[in-house]
Amino acid sequence: MISGMIRFCMLLLLWLAPSLVLSHGGVVEEEDLCVIKVNYLRGHFKIYQPLIDGHKEYCEDLPNATETVFVMEYLHDSLGEAAVDFRIIRDVTGKGRFARWEDVAGIDDLEAVTVLYREPTVDPDVLTVIHDFREEGDFIGIVTANVDGDQEIYRAVFPFEVGYTGLGYWPFFILLLLAIQLQYFVMSGRLKRWRENRAAAAIVALLLLCAPISDASADEWVTSRGVYTVSFESSLEPIEINQIHYWILRITSDGEPVTGASLTVSGGMPAHDHGMPTRPRVTAELGNGEYRLEGMRFHMGGDWEVSIEIKANGKTDTVVVMLTL
Amino acid sequence: MSKSTSTWWLVVVVTVATLVAMSRIWPPVVDEWSDADVAVLRSLWLGSLGELPPDPTNRVANDPRAASLGHALFFSNALSPSNSISCATCHRPELRFTDGMQKGRGVGQSKRNTLSIVGVAYSPWQYWDGRRDSQWAQALSPIEDAAEHGGNRQHAVGAVAANDEFRQLYEAIFGRLPEPGDARGTDMAFANIGKAIAAYERLIMPGPSRFDRYVDALLAGEEEQAPYSADEVAGLRLFIGKAACTQCHNGPLLTNYEFHNTGVLSFPGEVPDKGRAAGVRQVLADPFNCRGEFSDAIAGSCAELEFTRSGYEVLGAFRTPSLRNLEDTQPYMHKGQMFTLAEVLTHYNEAPLSMIGHNEAKPLGLNAAELLQLEAFLKTLAAPLATDEKWLRPPDISPGSL
Repeated sequence: MISGMIRFCMLLLLWLAPSLVLSHGGVVEEEDLCVIKVNYLRGHFKIYQPLIDGHKEYCEDLPNATETVFVMEYLHDSLGEAAVDFRIIRDVTGKGRFARWEDVAGIDDLEAVTVLYREPTVDPDVLTVIHDFREEGDFIGIVTANVDGDQEIYRAVFPFEVGYTGLGYWPFFILLLLAIQLQYFVMSGRLKRWRENRAAAAIVALLLLCAPISDASADEWVTSRGVYTVSFESSLEPIEINQIHYWILRITSDGEPVTGASLTVSGGMPAHDHGMPTRPRVTAELGNGEYRLEGMRFHMGGDWEVSIEIKANGKTDTVVVMLTL
Repeated sequence: MSKSTSTWWLVVVVTVATLVAMSRIWPPVVDEWSDADVAVLRSLWLGSLGELPPDPTNRVANDPRAASLGHALFFSNALSPSNSISCATCHRPELRFTDGMQKGRGVGQSKRNTLSIVGVAYSPWQYWDGRRDSQWAQALSPIEDAAEHGGNRQHAVGAVAANDEFRQLYEAIFGRLPEPGDARGTDMAFANIGKAIAAYERLIMPGPSRFDRYVDALLAGEEEQAPYSADEVAGLRLFIGKAACTQCHNGPLLTNYEFHNTGVLSFPGEVPDKGRAAGVRQVLADPFNCRGEFSDAIAGSCAELEFTRSGYEVLGAFRTPSLRNLEDTQPYMHKGQMFTLAEVLTHYNEAPLSMIGHNEAKPLGLNAAELLQLEAFLKTLAAPLATDEKWLRPPDISPGSL
């Protein structure tokens, strides 16, 4: 009986929630991201009020009339090549949250209601705009991307409120979460599954403990599918951090030198979630299966992985060389 | 088993359990450094700083005559048309060649915090965003920056020609100065001015700090003689361990010379600074870079420029500064956003998400006592410069119009 009521409430909330979330303009919350859609081009939109709220990130409605930084990171590279302009107007459409481009286009004197306009600019990395809001109220942001000369113009319109004090949709989300949680607790078999999970976790931990530890001092490295064997000699011996140097790679297959291979190299520190400070690449094939790999530099002590993809004679395989510096 | 025996056993069990629990709550103070720790400490020690690396782009880098000319030019106002700005206006020797301001100030407001030139000869990149790849190319930029010297190359070369002292020093090293109107000759002479200034700047080196004397003592096996308090030792342990500082602040100058996004807040009134993402485009386009016609490097020897990375990965990333001489180089960060070490350490402890790009730092979970210990250690990096006093003040010879 109780379970049935909870289900009904959840269905009601689920039915209400999408219309609440999606009904306002171009900024859409997708898994915590604020994604703006300029036609099919997508950007991740973030708004800051650094003088008051530091690093706190907003999606659209802003609590204060103060200096505000708009950041749009591109999820589609074309946005970095397009001339993008950015305009903020006072909302005189009377449509509020439901304002669309058609409503904005219907405004007689756009300039008169414009509070900020940034000329179309090609910004290869990220779009950043700053505006100091002097008054609270309803505003509309308009992002226009001119992708291919004058041929195609894409727009996104997002209404937002400055001096926003309401609770927004949080009560709905919290209710929804509580309902889901309650439903979860009411359902039978929870404990049993928890026990099973714990057993599975123990097995995984055991497997991890027993996993063979690779020998970091190996002189030869075999590619993951066993096609090639790779060894290297460094121009810097021993390899030190912060020194640019090169490697001579030697590649064999069944003991025979591999010539004419095309190599792609990348590297990083898995523990720190970052790559190499340089973009190393093969600059010369030296014959006898030897290749000069230039631009090697490691900027931290610790465990590094250098991944080398080898393509030769129609066979592609990858080796990961592990180093501890 | 008698009652008294079982009571006795109970006492033993409770005592052992209490001791075990206490050792977990208050771990014993570890004073010993492991071999791995000692290896890390040695790598951070000034004694590990190798010979000054050659600058293949600058054939007069180690020429003492060039250093003398560079010394005079560094302190001379003559390179600015307003006759009011020298390199030393922002790079003040008494402040470890910084200016104590959030952002530099020449004839106008400069865009970023003034970086020290101490030990910079070791860095493959100059500026916070690495938009120059040698000390001499860097030295040229402020001269033509409207907010700094506010001049141009024609004026700078003319200023050297107009001053007998400068001209004689210049012509003894580089040959005749160009005629006015000789554009290519002027570019060459302008590059030479930068190379002379760089020859001087290469002499500015950090001296040993209390930290280095601590490692001296440690390596000599005289740890008890080491000049460190318990807090400083604890701070050093955090620095190379839990606080993960050596991920970027490594090597004897406590920098990896690399670019990292650490999520520092934008400067009031400005959009977030793109840092290296923009700097890399500038250095590749700089006519005075390693590959350019004014560089003395032989072809194919510009590996740093050749293999540098670009794009989103370095968006909002700035060059790791050296931590030597922190006490005289505040405010900190690329726009001087932070005034105290406490602000800096709090920032790294929290590691907030970056406004643009991706903050590489992770929250550290240090408590207040640990932050104080870390700060105590950082202060031990203070030291006088290892450079002859005469280079730290204007030259004795008349530098012309001052």
